[in-house]
Amino acid sequence: MNKITIYGEDIKIESNDSVEVSIGEASKFLNVQSVKIKVLKDTDIIIDEGEISIKLDFYINVLKGVKVNIYEYKHDGEYKCQYKYYLEQKAYLNIEKVHDGKQVTEMNLINLNGEYAKANFNLKTISKDIEKYNFLVYHNANNTVSHIVNNGVNILDGTLEFNVSGFVPKGNTGCDVSQSGRIINMTENLCVIKPNLFIDEEDVVASHSALIGTFSADEIFYLMSRGIAQTDAQKLLTKGFLLNGISYYKDTLESIIDKYWR
Amino acid sequence: MKNLKIENLTVKAGEKTILKNFTLEIKAGEIHAIMGPNGTGKSTLTKVIMGDTNYEVTSGKIIYDGKNIIKMPVNERAKMGIFLGMQMPLEIEGVSNADFLRSALRAKEGDNFKLLPFIREVESYTEKLHMNKEMIHRGVNAGFSGGERKKNEILQMNVLKPDVVLLDEIDSGLDVDSLKLVGEAVMDYYNERKPAILLVTHYQRLLDYIKPDYIHIMKDGHIACSGDKSLALKIEQEGYDKVGNDDE
Repeated sequence: MNKITIYGEDIKIESNDSVEVSIGEASKFLNVQSVKIKVLKDTDIIIDEGEISIKLDFYINVLKGVKVNIYEYKHDGEYKCQYKYYLEQKAYLNIEKVHDGKQVTEMNLINLNGEYAKANFNLKTISKDIEKYNFLVYHNANNTVSHIVNNGVNILDGTLEFNVSGFVPKGNTGCDVSQSGRIINMTENLCVIKPNLFIDEEDVVASHSALIGTFSADEIFYLMSRGIAQTDAQKLLTKGFLLNGISYYKDTLESIIDKYWR
Repeated sequence: MKNLKIENLTVKAGEKTILKNFTLEIKAGEIHAIMGPNGTGKSTLTKVIMGDTNYEVTSGKIIYDGKNIIKMPVNERAKMGIFLGMQMPLEIEGVSNADFLRSALRAKEGDNFKLLPFIREVESYTEKLHMNKEMIHRGVNAGFSGGERKKNEILQMNVLKPDVVLLDEIDSGLDVDSLKLVGEAVMDYYNERKPAILLVTHYQRLLDYIKPDYIHIMKDGHIACSGDKSLALKIEQEGYDKVGNDDE
């Protein structure tokens, strides 16, 4: 297990021989700090970020045949982050992100560079202010797989946007590209999902889905018909919606939901 | 004794009037079955009693335990002891049966809720209803067959212990063995607690297991005629066209 803790401008690293982590020179002018992670062996990485006052650039390189789980938790800060992932042949990247930040802007570039490289991405967020997530997923080799799942609940003054673009150039056969975005919007504010597939190859499995709305009235009625109050019904449905697919930070996410649905 | 009395109830969905001056009283310990052709308002009746806000009550009263509950929210009606076993119970992704039932029972019992008796009771009913024990940890009705969903409704009824039980086509989707199991489970509950029961069904076969005191034929949003179990047999033989006209 490896852990990177980032609070304010302080970065603390606890790592073993499965990864190499280096912290770049901070750019005072741009207020950007870079973190480079090379994953050498199968491992898990915990990234815990709180009250960040700098922009963060992550470079994550997963070597050939290596499997890595990244569990990331953002809370209490205004975040501007860029992630660049590079996956070599048969590398497997599994990411679970739980966000409870004030504001979040993220750019995620996923480069599936080696044959049979696979990326699973699972984001859960409760948006209370401005949150915007961009994803560019490049299938640069044959038989590469990407599954991008973004789920968010928009509350208070939140606006939430997911923009996901998957690219498969001609000649890269056997790729599997899927994107699923769902936002439960509990406000009158604008929420956006843009699921884009740019595919120039016929031998590809591709799917995308986007859904923005509230919980269904029938679901609420069913729960209330068993004596559960409307706010508790919404809380149960929120838990069902967000906790699904989260392992490491599941209890944390449950506490976050309890905090907003008292 | 907690009785349910529906007085001159008129209900609209959009511009369409579905229930027209509907009147019925069900006393504690009585079983009433409502039959009738499709689209006559049988399911609407059960949903309106439960408080579904998709329907507009334009006149009339629903009196339960001496109070007019027309303006009462759905969950308050449930906490008072009204239960609706639904025709098509929803699948709710991610919410486990255990969390759902625990939340429901906690809402009803408040500080009196005890986890261990709850777990034991659920285990006992899942066994009685021949349900997979693992289903309690799965999402509500997630991946359940039609029959499993109906059994899950009966499980919920047994755990929540209502005084008024509304069962909307609880027989649909059940094979003969499951129908017997569900029918007997409902009668066991009836014998134990003597609730008021209102059944909605299309078929006489359910009434082989759940024995109604009264059968009502519903047409055009109101009760066209009432009788005993022989009425159901007559419908089975002659159909709704010949039975249950207002002049009978």
